[in-house]
Amino acid sequence: MTTSNEASQQTVDILVIGAGASGGAATAWLAEAGFNVKCLEQGYWQDPAKYASASDDYEFEMLTNWAPDPNVRQRDEDYPVNDSNSPVTPVMFNGVGGSTILWTAHTPRFHPSDFRVKTLDGVADDWPISYEELEEFYDLNDEVMGCSGINGDPANPPRSPRQMPPLPIGKDGKKLISGFEKLGWHWWPSDSYINSQRYGEGRDACNFCGHNHMGCFQRAKSSTDITYWPRALRSGATIETGARVRRITTDNSGRATGADYIDSKGNEKHQSARAVIMAANGIGTPRLLLNSASDSHPAGLSNSTGLVGKNLMFHPFAMISGTFPEKMDTWQGPLGNIGLSQEFYETDKSRGFVRGYTYQFQRSLGPAWIANGGFRDPVPWGEGHHVELEKRLGSVMAMAVIGEDLPEEHNTVDLDPELTDSDGIPAPRLNYTLSKNSRDQLDHAIGNAKKALEAAGAEDIFVDPMMRQSGWHLMGTARMGNDPDKSVVDKWGQSHDVDNLFIVDGSVFVTGAAVNPTPTIQALALRTADYIVEHRQDLKG
Amino acid sequence: MINETSRMNINEDLLAAILDRLIPAVDDVPSAGKMGITAEIVRLSGQQARFQGIFTKAMQTFESANSEFVLLDVESQDDAIRNFESKEPGLFNSLLTISYIVYYKDTRVHKRIGWSGRTPQPEGNTMEPWDDSILETQRKREPFWRKI
Ligand SMILES: Cc1cc2nc3c(=O)[nH]c(=O)nc-3n(C[C@H](O)[C@H](O)[C@H](O)COP(=O)(O)OP(=O)(O)OC[C@H]3O[C@@H](n4cnc5c(N)ncnc54)[C@H](O)[C@@H]3O)c2cc1C
Repeated sequence: MTTSNEASQQTVDILVIGAGASGGAATAWLAEAGFNVKCLEQGYWQDPAKYASASDDYEFEMLTNWAPDPNVRQRDEDYPVNDSNSPVTPVMFNGVGGSTILWTAHTPRFHPSDFRVKTLDGVADDWPISYEELEEFYDLNDEVMGCSGINGDPANPPRSPRQMPPLPIGKDGKKLISGFEKLGWHWWPSDSYINSQRYGEGRDACNFCGHNHMGCFQRAKSSTDITYWPRALRSGATIETGARVRRITTDNSGRATGADYIDSKGNEKHQSARAVIMAANGIGTPRLLLNSASDSHPAGLSNSTGLVGKNLMFHPFAMISGTFPEKMDTWQGPLGNIGLSQEFYETDKSRGFVRGYTYQFQRSLGPAWIANGGFRDPVPWGEGHHVELEKRLGSVMAMAVIGEDLPEEHNTVDLDPELTDSDGIPAPRLNYTLSKNSRDQLDHAIGNAKKALEAAGAEDIFVDPMMRQSGWHLMGTARMGNDPDKSVVDKWGQSHDVDNLFIVDGSVFVTGAAVNPTPTIQALALRTADYIVEHRQDLKG
Repeated sequence: MINETSRMNINEDLLAAILDRLIPAVDDVPSAGKMGITAEIVRLSGQQARFQGIFTKAMQTFESANSEFVLLDVESQDDAIRNFESKEPGLFNSLLTISYIVYYKDTRVHKRIGWSGRTPQPEGNTMEPWDDSILETQRKREPFWRKI
């Protein structure tokens, strides 16, 4: 039921909740197809010229106002997340561009096998779609976001030509890679949505400042505020910023009618729409669906199965770093966009676990970041501090392990009974434990990472067996599937319960694969938007 | 602007004495407590939620457990800090983190460690261009992704 105490605004064809990676893509596609689309986004536009990488206090800003953890950042537009029952802290950004403002823009694709884990390995579930069905949308997304990379990777199917050559490897990258070469292991330059040359609208080439994880001053890193959103707005889409959605509203028949929200001035409003698209990410979307319980949807919207908020997957990260005797200016170049190794990606049951993992190669940053540990323990205080700092500065390289985290129903996002955001809306609460399979994967990966670092000449190897602040990939909490008893949305992202409700963010993932998810999220968003375009006659008001 | 309220709550002499032990003198750079950076530590710690409150609490907790700290010999001071570190890791960590941030933005320190001190932007850095020959070995490998 609509409970708005303010007059409804003009009804739009499509209301999109969230202006991040998926919301931007879906909005642009639909607006370009002639739909009247409006997006409600709780955060604001960012001005790249004001990103903190040009501030004298950038090392302070990185850990505070530009920290990826919303519980640390605590901007007005952030909502708190109770993560006390999770060894992994979720990280995200709330604003136009969503988490792509802070992301690393490392953009591998799923492998074909990732869509068939039940058939191949007897675990979790197969996706209701295949790699081949998604491929054209991966390509379309690469074109809009702009991909630097190179074809020929033997670990992946061939793909369309990348828009730009790879980002340079750097002397630090070459050093790390030498370990993989010695061991005869796979590595390949990363696909990255970072310009290695001018590409897109007013977007420069990367100038290797190393700090685009605080927003990219050069606009070289692709974020949807500078890629999809200009297109969407030109095609007539509108976006209201500072608009925090309280609930999706429904009519007596249970269909979505729009959303109640609080505008930037604190006014309660309602936006009516013929269809609603959720793009609030793998935590924001289940939170909102659960907050949208009503007489017709007592357990929350689209939650007749009780699966909304369940099967939360993260990609728990282990981080293995080594200190090299050489000085390699490791702060030059994007932090995590050198290359990857998928030597151990596909299942080999002799390893004692199913599925596999990717190594993502990492640089390290400036003196305060190094002193405070960066990817490892802080430099000790007292005597010995200076020697250790000098050893690490410019010499630490790391390997992040992205293991495939399989879905488990007990890993959940639900509503915290007490915690709320600044508008009094119940905040999400996480319950997450690492499975044995994931732990075994990480341990296997740690052992091999040590070998690779040693082969490359690293001396002081440090292992973080599971980084706490690594919940950057939020997946699985409103999974897709063909069976309405076992999934929340169908293979088009359309809710089984509410036919004019769609979900396009990482919530719909059936499994998480062992790669960064955003190209897949955006490809799925485009595919859902395309489906809506094809079925426009079904969107009855 | 210095947050006067938190400044009043911080014993800067004590902070300087702690800093002297955390980051000792090296070459021509004095120990951190003698560099005149305490006011900046207090200022920055008051700027954002991460350090607000917790830094003040760290200092107050430390002070109430170690009221004679500035009078102790250096070994006893180190013991007191180690004790605080193990009993109050969260509080200690906030103190150490903000101290390192401020110490490592000092130009005297930059000069000593050979750090340019430039902000990452707008200048950025120059990297050598992409060199395809680095892929020579990998290109010889047969595709090994799992066909389905
Ligand atoms: C530091 C960091 C590094 C990352 N690196 C990578 C990487 O290298 N590669 C990769 O593939 N992925 C990476 N990611 C993950 C990537 O950013 C996300 O997968 C992607 O942005 C998710 O897209 P989304 O549309 O689902 O959600 P988001 O981009 O998070 O956008 C969701 C939007 O919804 C809005 N919203 C939520 N609730 C409401 C509400 N109630 N009302 C109104 N608006 C709301 C939010 O404000 C937000 O703007 C990284 C993430 C972070 C934080």
